[in-house]
Amino acid sequence: MPTVPILMPQLGESIAEATVIRLGFKVGDTVRADQEIIEVETNKAVMGVTTLCDGVIAEIRAKEGVSYSVGSLLGLLEVTEEEVARTGVDTLESANENRSQANESEKTNPQAEANLHFALDESDAYEEAPAIEPNVKGLPVPTGTMGAHYISPRMRARMNDLGLREADISAVAGTGAGGRVTVTDLERFLDYLEAWPSVSASPMRLAVADAMRRSWTRPLATVGLPTLLDRVLEHRRSHTPKPGLTLYLLRAFALALTENPATAGYLIGDKIVHPRSFDIGVAVQVEDGVLVPVVRMVDQKPLRELIAEYDDLVDRSRRRRLSEADCKGGIATVTNFGTFGLTTGTPIPLPNETLILGLGAGVKKPVWSNQTETFLPATTADIFLTFDHRVVDGGGAGILLQRVSQLLQQPELL
Amino acid sequence: MTDDVVKNRKFMRSIFHSMLRARLLENKLSSLYKAGKIVGGVYLGKGQEAVSATLGTCLIPGQDFFAPLIRDQAGRTAFGEPLIDCTRTYLGSASGPMRGRDGNIHRGRPTMGMPAMISHLGAQVPVIAGMLFAKRLQGTLAGRVGATCVGDGATSTGAFHEGLNLAAVEKLPMVVIVANNQFAYSTPNTRQFACHDLVEKARGYGIGGFAVDGTDLFACASVITEAVQRAREGRGPQLVVAHLLRLSGHGEHDDGSYVPRENREDHYGRDCIDIATRQLIDHGLATEEEIQSWHQQFADEVQRAVAQAQQEAVPDPYREDWSALSSSVSPAHQHSNQKEPS
Amino acid sequence: MSVTYIDAIREAQETLLREDPRVFLYGQDIATFGGAFKATKGLAEAFPNRVFDSPISEDAMIGLAVGAAIEGMRPIVEMQFADFSSIAFNQIVNQAATHFYRTGVPIPITVRLPSGGTPGSGPFHSQSMEGIYAQYPGLVVLTPASVSDAYHMLIDAVALDDPVIFCEHKFLYRWLKAKSIQNDHLPIGQARIVRPGKHATVVAYSAMVHEAVRAAERLHEDGWEIEVVDLRSVKPLDMDTVLASVARTGRLLAVGEAFPWGGVTAEVVARTVSEGFHLLDAPPQRLNSRDTPVPYHPKLWAAHRPTPESIQEALRKLLNF
Repeated sequence: MPTVPILMPQLGESIAEATVIRLGFKVGDTVRADQEIIEVETNKAVMGVTTLCDGVIAEIRAKEGVSYSVGSLLGLLEVTEEEVARTGVDTLESANENRSQANESEKTNPQAEANLHFALDESDAYEEAPAIEPNVKGLPVPTGTMGAHYISPRMRARMNDLGLREADISAVAGTGAGGRVTVTDLERFLDYLEAWPSVSASPMRLAVADAMRRSWTRPLATVGLPTLLDRVLEHRRSHTPKPGLTLYLLRAFALALTENPATAGYLIGDKIVHPRSFDIGVAVQVEDGVLVPVVRMVDQKPLRELIAEYDDLVDRSRRRRLSEADCKGGIATVTNFGTFGLTTGTPIPLPNETLILGLGAGVKKPVWSNQTETFLPATTADIFLTFDHRVVDGGGAGILLQRVSQLLQQPELL
Repeated sequence: MTDDVVKNRKFMRSIFHSMLRARLLENKLSSLYKAGKIVGGVYLGKGQEAVSATLGTCLIPGQDFFAPLIRDQAGRTAFGEPLIDCTRTYLGSASGPMRGRDGNIHRGRPTMGMPAMISHLGAQVPVIAGMLFAKRLQGTLAGRVGATCVGDGATSTGAFHEGLNLAAVEKLPMVVIVANNQFAYSTPNTRQFACHDLVEKARGYGIGGFAVDGTDLFACASVITEAVQRAREGRGPQLVVAHLLRLSGHGEHDDGSYVPRENREDHYGRDCIDIATRQLIDHGLATEEEIQSWHQQFADEVQRAVAQAQQEAVPDPYREDWSALSSSVSPAHQHSNQKEPS
Repeated sequence: MSVTYIDAIREAQETLLREDPRVFLYGQDIATFGGAFKATKGLAEAFPNRVFDSPISEDAMIGLAVGAAIEGMRPIVEMQFADFSSIAFNQIVNQAATHFYRTGVPIPITVRLPSGGTPGSGPFHSQSMEGIYAQYPGLVVLTPASVSDAYHMLIDAVALDDPVIFCEHKFLYRWLKAKSIQNDHLPIGQARIVRPGKHATVVAYSAMVHEAVRAAERLHEDGWEIEVVDLRSVKPLDMDTVLASVARTGRLLAVGEAFPWGGVTAEVVARTVSEGFHLLDAPPQRLNSRDTPVPYHPKLWAAHRPTPESIQEALRKLLNF
């Protein structure tokens, strides 16, 4: 037979508890619906607790003279199924499914945790909350969080403390959400590095590193072209003082650019900034780095007039006597990595320039001659142009490079 | 009793002094406002001086409490507020009681029994009740009175009702004066209340009620004296409704042109200063010459108070203590308010 | 023998009445009846002429307290429910809160607000007003979450020269018990770390501290260590403790029972972002009640306020960011 709980009712908005002063019935008594069966007293008044349906008192838990908080179980009533259906009362069985709202005030406290100022009573005074969707917006992990792509403010602050950039942590495997590198990952990596020998990087090294890293944020492409150097070498031998090989390249580059100035354009947002003057830098290898002094108005001066200026800049570079102004305002750079015996390279332009022209080492090769219809020995070198593909395409780069190559075949025009 | 009061030469002359000082001060404030010297509003009690000054004169400074409202320059003066408090507050002197933190009529000396009003009407009624309640708990209530003034508009607020009812329940020695000046800003009595006379409300609160012609100094003197006396004797709160007309706009920015001419020309449109002047002379309480000399004397006092306040430093935002709390409860000062557990 | 949160409030008032002749209690049904929640049970008998039943006039109750405070008293006003303090809003924020700044005379009143939801209390007996009062300069707003804090903070509140809004949680009144009131206590203005952790910080106050601790206990089973900060006082706000905790964990969830627009949790998040952006590993989160009036039915009520389940869910999302 179903059991219906007799609960201490809410006897007013602000009443928290009431004292049982008289139990009107004993176990086994039959009671009628709406009959007052227990008399209770609040601070305000004496009231009767009524039953909700007909039934037989099965159990009395309340004791006279004891206070019970609202919702406490005072007793149980045995009720027929028909009566439950007729009155629609909650039975103990159905109530148990939802857990009782009763706050059994007599229940003792569990041991208080030492570090807490309060003890939590294990008995819930309210219903267990249903599994509801919490009213917070979700926090989807952003796409592209792998590795160093997402850096939290905390991670950024730690990296700044340590003087680190994204590039520096590319070696760290992330264990954070979405493969993110966390501060812990970073600290672990740094601990691991502790075991390795290390030296402090020079300011020159750090400056080059900074420039190269910044430049590398762009889509850079490199194209190359074999070029005959015999005419240039011949021209060079017959001149005093001898112009450096790089100077030919510099002058050829400047003239080619005057015909295609747009290729040296620099993209900023939705604007392309065009060169104001054909000032071109020359990469000079120095101890522990590279300096790029700028030769001014290369298009305006014939080769022989440039020799002294060029030699002076190279000399001062090697002695580290360049001023800041010497290195400013270039629109492109020329680098002759052929001096290191290298034939192929993909140089990287400075971060504020779109182009860099590189020259590989000259090599004696048999070259087919249409005139003689035989292979003839010739000195060739590959020239390379690296460009910011946002500004220049392969076609534009090709035209520029072809033109440089052609000009190198007519050194007297330079 | 009435006759005794109005025959009291010292008392009647004292009330008139406050009326006249207030009127001359307010005339000066009006001209300072029109000269662009006062930032913010200027609110005058023109036409209410007899009521306000009588109340202030009936109260005992240092013993009684008085919460003045917007049109109580005369009452403030009578209760002992120096003219310089007024000019300093209006002119924003850093030396004034409000130090530039509040202006114009929002000033007071709470520790001297005169709380500083807030703009919310009726709000001072329970504050005065609380001051008296404190004295009851401290055992020093006997013989004290607390008083406040409101206008007809304030009687429509919940605060007025709650405060007056509470004062009645607590049987506090309180006098609440309603200066019914017929307009709350621009709203006439017909849109403010539906009873015949606001004094009817006294019956509802179970407190004493008096109605008086607020333009008549003699009537004010006898009625308000009576009301204050009853309160002082422990007969609970007293409501005095004074009938009069506001003789200025709501503030000096307002010309009050919505006040119909018939209101200005009827009995309550009279200027209480003129009536009082005649009453004093007619009853031998002052001579015309004396009153003339008072005009000169008080005008000089006003001029000095204005001159002094104008020469004083204004508040410096860089040196202002931008703290609204008197205690140091920020975590940085965490130990200053600790109290040992018992 | 145990002490409940309401016992602590009652005992604090008893101590105050006994030790400080300036203290008196004013409120509806608080004298012989002992108050709607029995916070003043027996005090009217023990202290004749110190505990007064007021008319149902919340505005005038605070007005009276302000006047009494000017004249040297230390009134404690009981609002029957925090919700009803809306009637006294003007006297609290315009009269009491502005008084010291305007006049230099402090107003030492304590306004007790039985706050927060309980099952079946509905829209007008369940509100949490701390954020509204904290918005106003010139008020101190306290939100004790433990039995000992309820006692000591009420004592401290009355000792303060400024108006104090004392938000006591109705749900904690009889539910929260301690063996005794502890003697050591923190000063007002200092938060407390009630549970140490290292993966995320939950900043909570009042009843939400307990819900946050439960959520933390459940997450502990999965290996997460959640630090729980009990603000204790929402104004002043102890950002030093909050930021120190976020510095340890890198993640913040602020939990409050009040309505979600603005308020204490928004202030905690805003200040953490502006003062501790560099400490954050994930966007700081807030969890509040829903943006509707507090519903009557216990099932709706339980889903309206933050619960251990919703706090846990919010924390998991935060931890997975």
